[in-house]
Amino acid sequence: MNVIKVRKALLSKTVLRGFFSVGGLIVLWQIAASMKLPGFTAVPTPIEVWGVLADSISQAKFWDHWAASFARVLSGFIAAQIIGIPLGLFMAMSRTFYATSFPLLEIMRPIPPLAWVPASIIFWPTTEASIAFVIFLGAFFTVVINVIGSARNIDVRYLRAAQSLGSRPMDIFLRIILPAVLPGIFIGMAVGMGITWEVVVAAEMIAGKSGLGYLTWSSYVGGNYPQIIIGMISIGIAGYISSSLIRLLGHYVTPWQRTS
Amino acid sequence: MSTLQQGGGRISIRNVTKIYDPDGAKVLAVDDCSLEIAEGEFCVIVGPSGCGKTTLLNALAGFHSITSGEITLDGRAICTPQFTAEPSAERIVVFQNGALFPWYTVLENITYGPEVQGRMGRREAAEQARELLAELGLASIADRYPGEISSGMKRRVEIARALINDPKVLLLDEPFRAMDALTKGVVQEFLLRALDKVRKTVLFITHDLEEALFLGDKVVVMSTRPARVKQTIDVDFPRPRTFRVRSSARYLELKQQVFDAVHEEALKAFDAGEREMA
Repeated sequence: MNVIKVRKALLSKTVLRGFFSVGGLIVLWQIAASMKLPGFTAVPTPIEVWGVLADSISQAKFWDHWAASFARVLSGFIAAQIIGIPLGLFMAMSRTFYATSFPLLEIMRPIPPLAWVPASIIFWPTTEASIAFVIFLGAFFTVVINVIGSARNIDVRYLRAAQSLGSRPMDIFLRIILPAVLPGIFIGMAVGMGITWEVVVAAEMIAGKSGLGYLTWSSYVGGNYPQIIIGMISIGIAGYISSSLIRLLGHYVTPWQRTS
Repeated sequence: MSTLQQGGGRISIRNVTKIYDPDGAKVLAVDDCSLEIAEGEFCVIVGPSGCGKTTLLNALAGFHSITSGEITLDGRAICTPQFTAEPSAERIVVFQNGALFPWYTVLENITYGPEVQGRMGRREAAEQARELLAELGLASIADRYPGEISSGMKRRVEIARALINDPKVLLLDEPFRAMDALTKGVVQEFLLRALDKVRKTVLFITHDLEEALFLGDKVVVMSTRPARVKQTIDVDFPRPRTFRVRSSARYLELKQQVFDAVHEEALKAFDAGEREMA
């Protein structure tokens, strides 16, 4: 991209509107908090938050919280993919297995991940393991459901064309079913990643000793109100980075999707 | 391409009947249908929608069984009530709505067949495919994805994808349906040019009568469901053909013949449809 394109992109109406809404929110927040409007009596102003921010980000501890949350999200998320994708594919391809496992999946799926926290703490030997498990669950069901959905939606024409061109069953799996399911897998990943951040923050608030969720909650308990805001914004940015990475990965793994 | 050419491709459909029996409600789709297609012959089947044409093609392709009768390819049984030969690259199907794999580029779509059959290595397949694409005037889109090219281009690529496998039989199930008339004309000529280079036995299904006459050596008119052969019309235009065939007097004469035969069946199908709705 050349300079003119970059400048054009930055000055485009879409981007300007984005800045306007974010900037507008900050201005309204500043006004509401400095005038101590009802509900805003204890809320720090953006300027106060800015002052504390410089202090926070210079401390290694702050970045340890980031790292802790990211490590949890990644491990739970990757585990969910490693187990969920093959499971979803297998469920989609075997009628017997589908009939056996689907009711189980559908009973477990509506249970919110956070409802698993107490049982998880009892079951797993360490708190860390129980948090990881809850995060895993958050992404797992979304992944499985998306894989099943996209595998079952593969157009029969592709399967027949592949047969007609002389494919063996292994070719059908590797060269037809797998690529056909990939876009669905990435949709599942993007949704799953969002859920994962929701879950990690809540789990850290309940049971954590580190992480952005813990940071936010302990700032509240410790009365450091500007830091609550910093924790919240950090979570937002972390989630945004994660889903951008997923989109980027999807962009490279499914190049044909860029066109159609 | 001429280096690949293999012989054969004589199809014999004898007294084929197909009854669908999804949930006890027996539906007779094809009734005692017999048809001979010679080696290298371009046979077009026309008939009202839903008359059972596709059922016949699917049986030939290996996607369906039949209830009675027999289909042979070069004297070898490929579909009987007891046995349906697996789909294979000797009988390649080009589908109604197109079935290029969207996740592969044009080139990868074309090399798919030779690669999975183990006939060629990746590099050899790619070389052959590029040659074929150049020969067919499609070289410029080799590295595009199907989502990036027009529907007319897609159909051409799909025909190339079938031809590189040097099939004995090409099965085309309304491949140019839903295309605008101009694009359709171009793609039809493309198919004719490709087949001028390598003759193949072709079974082509359509309900476009103009298309049937322009492409076929013979046009088989099917009756409304259950499908039976109502009439066979030989189309004696010499090959290679160009679109100019369409303005000849002989063309109009044949068109009248086919139209008469099909119209009668279309009316029957229409009446039957009305009864079902009532």
